[in-house]
Amino acid sequence: MSAENAAPKILVFSTDIISDPGIDQAGLLKLHYSPSVYTISLPCSSGIKPRWIMRAFEKGFDGVFIAADGHECSYSPKCSEYTNKIIEQTQEMMREKNINPKRIRMAALCSVCAESFVSHMGNFSKILAELGSIQSEISVSQ
Amino acid sequence: MSLDSTTYDALVIGGGIAGQESALNLAEMNYKVLLVEKDVSIGGKMIQLSKVFPTLDCAACITTPKMSETARHPNIRLLTNTDVNEIVKDNGLFHINLTVRPTYVHADLCTGCQLCEEVCPKVIEDKYNSNMVGQKAISIAFSLANPKMAAIDIEQCIKCKKCVKVCAPNAIDFDMQPQNLRVEAKSVVIATGFNLFDAKHKPQYGFGQYPNVINAMQMDRLIAPTRPYNSVLRPSDGKVPDNIAYVLCAGSRDSSIENAEACTNGCANNPICSQICCMYSIKQAQLLMGALPMADITIYYMDIRAFGKGYEEFYMQAKGMGVNFVKGKIAKITEKNDGSADLVLRYEDVTTGKLKEVKHDLVVLSVGVLSDSSITQTFTNQKVEIDNLGFIQSAHELVSPAKTSIEGVFVAGAASGPKDIPDSILSAGAAASEAAGYINNLSAN
Amino acid sequence: MKQRIGVYICHCGGNISDYVDVQQLGKLMAKEDGVVISKDVMFACSDSTQKEIEQDIKEKQLDAIVVASCSPKLHTHTFRGVAIRAGLNPYNYTQVNVREQCSWAHSDRPMDATIKAYGLIRAGINRVAHSEALESIEIEAQKAVAVIGAGIAGLRAALDLARMGNQVYLIEKEDKVGGRVLTAGKLFSSGENGKDVIEQLVRQIKQMTNIQLFTNATLGKVSGSVGNYYMDVNVNGELLKLHVGSVLVTTGFDFYSPGEGEYGFNMSDRVMSLQDFNMLVEGSNGQLMHNGQPVKTIAYIYCVGNRQSKGENKYCSRQCCTAAIHSSLNVHEKFKGVKAFHLYRDIRTYGKHELLYEESSRKGDIYIRFDEKEPPVVEIKNGKPFITVKDYLTSKKELTLDADLVVLVTGMVPRSDSTQISELLKIPIGNDKFFNEVHPKLKPVETVIKGIYIGGACQGPKNISESVQSALSGAAKINSISRKGSIKPEPIVARVDADICAWCNKCAEVCEFDAVKPIESSGKMIAEINISTCTGCGICAPVCPVNAIEIAYFTDNEIESMIDGFAEPADIAPREEVKETASTGQSKSLAGYPKIWRTIAGAMDDKTLTIPEIAGLVNISNHEATWNVMTMNRYGFIEAVGLNDDETHYNYKLKR
Ligand SMILES: Cc1cc2nc3c(=O)[nH]c(=O)nc-3n(C[C@H](O)[C@H](O)[C@H](O)COP(=O)(O)OP(=O)(O)OC[C@H]3O[C@@H](n4cnc5c(N)ncnc54)[C@H](O)[C@@H]3O)c2cc1C
Ligand SMILES: Cc1cc2nc3c(=O)[nH]c(=O)nc-3n(C[C@H](O)[C@H](O)[C@H](O)COP(=O)(O)OP(=O)(O)OC[C@H]3O[C@@H](n4cnc5c(N)ncnc54)[C@H](O)[C@@H]3O)c2cc1C
Ligand code: SF4
Ligand code: SF4
Ligand code: SF4
Repeated sequence: MSAENAAPKILVFSTDIISDPGIDQAGLLKLHYSPSVYTISLPCSSGIKPRWIMRAFEKGFDGVFIAADGHECSYSPKCSEYTNKIIEQTQEMMREKNINPKRIRMAALCSVCAESFVSHMGNFSKILAELGSIQSEISVSQ
Repeated sequence: MSLDSTTYDALVIGGGIAGQESALNLAEMNYKVLLVEKDVSIGGKMIQLSKVFPTLDCAACITTPKMSETARHPNIRLLTNTDVNEIVKDNGLFHINLTVRPTYVHADLCTGCQLCEEVCPKVIEDKYNSNMVGQKAISIAFSLANPKMAAIDIEQCIKCKKCVKVCAPNAIDFDMQPQNLRVEAKSVVIATGFNLFDAKHKPQYGFGQYPNVINAMQMDRLIAPTRPYNSVLRPSDGKVPDNIAYVLCAGSRDSSIENAEACTNGCANNPICSQICCMYSIKQAQLLMGALPMADITIYYMDIRAFGKGYEEFYMQAKGMGVNFVKGKIAKITEKNDGSADLVLRYEDVTTGKLKEVKHDLVVLSVGVLSDSSITQTFTNQKVEIDNLGFIQSAHELVSPAKTSIEGVFVAGAASGPKDIPDSILSAGAAASEAAGYINNLSAN
Repeated sequence: MKQRIGVYICHCGGNISDYVDVQQLGKLMAKEDGVVISKDVMFACSDSTQKEIEQDIKEKQLDAIVVASCSPKLHTHTFRGVAIRAGLNPYNYTQVNVREQCSWAHSDRPMDATIKAYGLIRAGINRVAHSEALESIEIEAQKAVAVIGAGIAGLRAALDLARMGNQVYLIEKEDKVGGRVLTAGKLFSSGENGKDVIEQLVRQIKQMTNIQLFTNATLGKVSGSVGNYYMDVNVNGELLKLHVGSVLVTTGFDFYSPGEGEYGFNMSDRVMSLQDFNMLVEGSNGQLMHNGQPVKTIAYIYCVGNRQSKGENKYCSRQCCTAAIHSSLNVHEKFKGVKAFHLYRDIRTYGKHELLYEESSRKGDIYIRFDEKEPPVVEIKNGKPFITVKDYLTSKKELTLDADLVVLVTGMVPRSDSTQISELLKIPIGNDKFFNEVHPKLKPVETVIKGIYIGGACQGPKNISESVQSALSGAAKINSISRKGSIKPEPIVARVDADICAWCNKCAEVCEFDAVKPIESSGKMIAEINISTCTGCGICAPVCPVNAIEIAYFTDNEIESMIDGFAEPADIAPREEVKETASTGQSKSLAGYPKIWRTIAGAMDDKTLTIPEIAGLVNISNHEATWNVMTMNRYGFIEAVGLNDDETHYNYKLKR
């Protein structure tokens, strides 16, 4: 049996110290969210390379969510600004490939923001479901 | 360091933010530290808070990494649920007698899965949430606890042992006994923090009598992401409050408490200012404006003491957001007798000189900081001096603020007087610096 | 690429295995490329399993391991320890979170949780296959410290640094030490005299053989980084070269100087600043005299140059309320019959300083509150100040006062030369123009440049005790570097591909830590990363237009192979005996729980109700109902289903 649930596949980039613990909290409290959500944790959201996000789309992810630290980032006060720039840059690349720029999203998440993470996943899943599978926009390699 | 070594460079008493910070500073200097905390988890008051002024960052995001750094630092041995019984200074060395109280759960086996908590049928008060909700007799103290392990409140446990059956790693052990330890340390840092004023001792405010008169710690819990009600509701009936009052200086700047001698811990005439209440109230007001956009928030104050770095700006921001600041001292709070559980506040409006009465549906008492000097009694052959208010007396406040009356004993955080988090952290750094200089000279001589 | 990988998947005594079919996954992973051994284990973190993994690493010559269990926040250090003990580089181990982010998060859907776990573990294997053995390099750190500014903060920190065994160079630009305290006269809260305090400190400093004090000294060029700073200091015209491990900046503050005519300033010598007034009090005996005339009435005006909601200095100077009240008390102690009026906005005698305020009120000082919008007006009539003020505490009644002296309680401002210091040492300046720490709680005395610390009033207004505490905090941080004698930064740092880099400066622009510098390499300029200051945040990596930067442990190969791993189709067979814990569709049994819970559940049945409605049905108080419903909510028996129509209460429903 292979993955049959048609829920949109989401890749989350989280941060080691702040937002990933928040996502852990959601599990701890058994606040359920879509099992098609996968997470990669990094030191800082401003270190995400657009090519990684593009890779995710090429590999069949329907959306990419960046769980940033916002003003709690311990590396740079301009973190949100930098992360936003990365998103804009990626959206540029997405447009070139006819990928809907709405497939990428960012929100600041703190280390106890369990509920907020779950509701973000719910909302984002809804948006992505409306957009349809990524395969409707590009061909996906495996 | 062998963790069961019995000689340490420093004993740090209290695992709040100040104690953690002192312990970490010393450990980073390669000194061996024993950190003793009386509760089942370190974290102190700060881990209970929502967001913290003046930067409004989430308290948990700042404390939890520090807590885990403290718990796993190779130079720190952490003992929780532990009492300090006696400290004797002899020949320049402190001889310390400790008791580790049983939690009835083996820390090294418990995985923090909370299955026991699920099956436990005994519901008790949740102290961490100021009893606004219940918890089980076997519980992890709170979701961010460190060490993250269950503990049994043995007094309330009904010994049904359902938990024993579900615990896969067999971590639960009802035969666990108190453990006595004797250790030595070259220096001691007292970081035992403070007590909150128990507002029952101002009966005219009705705390403990009217469910919708709560204290500020309860409000910090209500707005924290790990909050008990999942949203800000008032305790009397789960209503979403829309007209909240803050009463500043509740139990501070006040020498009018009747019969102050007769009551122990938690009530006293407290002439000083608690230094944190103005700011935490402004913080909560800002957070409430976000959580309840429709609510009116009024802060009744004597002076707004927004003195620290960025604080005045924070105060101005709250004014700009529409928080209502009224200068006036609340004389009395009564509950309306129409069944609404709303409250009536009587106060003198100083700008007009008139007595006024106003209605609010939730009242927060911004309770103050009282000293907790009980630790000084454990020093049996020398005396740690305290000031008139019971705070640890600094031996030379201006030049060596962390020194106490005993050479080799230092003080950090709110144990020496009211302090907010940034000040507590700075004082903890100073205590570490002075202790390190002292230890270094011991070995040099 | 690693070829001999070991994979360990944890049951966590059911926490994972009740939902995720770990046994099947263990078997499936054994078939993956490069995997030599794959096991499911009861408790990965237990002593026995740790030993088992160590043994496997040695016996099977594993070159990398994957542990799929709980969150990396819990046991990364445990398993890194396992790797190290078995002789494996700790960075050749990867943690996969199949508990918090899988079995628990998806406990409602065991099959999907197993499918997700498959992807997570595949990603872990891919990542570890690309992992590199990373080594921390050790950089020697000087046990010498430069302290800039010999006010109370600098003097005091120098003393502790020396006691802790550091060589200290104390650099003061004036010809004498002590800063503002030297001339402050009698001090709160101890009553000591500023001059005595400084003299006492100087005596102690002279006794320390490892402190060298330079007066008339100014800072010149600074280079290097944490552990090894090289700085030029000009001492009386001679050049001194220092090599230190860290720098503590304690350059203090300037007094705010009121503008021409601000509250009558410079219009009469009867209007003076608090610090000048303190000297006058200090110098008078018997009777307080000003220009040969006795002073009987004093008006103190607070917040001069501070708390300007429209102006430049928005901040409060923190210590001036206390300083002014303390001065007033000094006057009463020294001279009889002086009347004092305090024209204030808020009295900020926080903490124990409140006792001074109380004492002053008791002594008959009069406090008049004004509002920033209607400040007092000072006019000079016949050489004497004449003040009009609206008293906000008596319905804004207008008061007029004659005073012999007007004392302007002026606040603190940054040193006029602080921008120079900030440029030399790259210390950021905050909104208030004082030096700015990285974070008031996480890094309260650190600047973004490692090895450069700030303390005392150069950070922002502070009284003496607070200045000393922050400077000593800086000393403690510095000592942790110098006592170790070296710094061993984490090997997770940026690295530059010299072939591709064309030095466009983009990475250097975004690096907060000044870790990127150009160097010449094979005839062209390229970026070089200073690994002792790089934090591995990765901010520089995405801005590189030619993708020349990678962060160790987060390389393109590692991250992209993880994404590939997530996308691997999983072929999972249905589990024979699946424990249906949470997905049975029935409500949890309330047997054994408090009777009131069963009563509430019985009354609620299928209905959605608010707390007062529930209370009405079961005949308990609203308050009691709140407590119980919330506790039942916490343990998963009841859930909130949105607000009622009036939006006053939430509706609750039994959870099925
Ligand atoms: C409602 C409220 C809101 C606040 N909000 C803010 C805010 O937003 N920002 C801010 O900066 N500050 C805030 N504060 C202030 C903050 O809580 C304190 O500054 C801080 O907790 C002081 O830390 P501490 O470590 O000195 O003391 P504590 O937090 O009291 O910690 C003391 C520790 O020592 C332990 N202990 C005590 N006695 C013993 C003993 N005998 N043996 C062993 N262990 C012992 C205690 O269990 C505790 O863990 C707030 C305070 C309150 C009450
Ligand atoms: C009117 C008034 C009264 C006060 N009374 C009290 C009181 O009674 N009790 C109390 O606790 N606090 C009092 N204070 C506060 C107290 O003055 C400060 O807390 C204290 O002076 C701060 O010490 P500091 O060492 O940080 O700074 P400073 O005292 O400013 O010392 C800084 C030193 O650094 C030197 N320096 C500056 N720039 C450089 C440079 N570029 N290179 C080399 N050296 C440099 C300066 O020459 C000076 O020696 C008062 C303040 C005011 C304004
Ligand atoms: S005691 Fe056992 S059942 Fe309870 S949390 Fe710990 S491991 Fe789980
Ligand atoms: S400490 Fe007092 S006088 Fe100084 S700026 Fe603040 S409120 Fe004004
Ligand atoms: S990883 Fe961060 S600290 Fe390191 S060079 Fe890049 S931007 Fe600077």
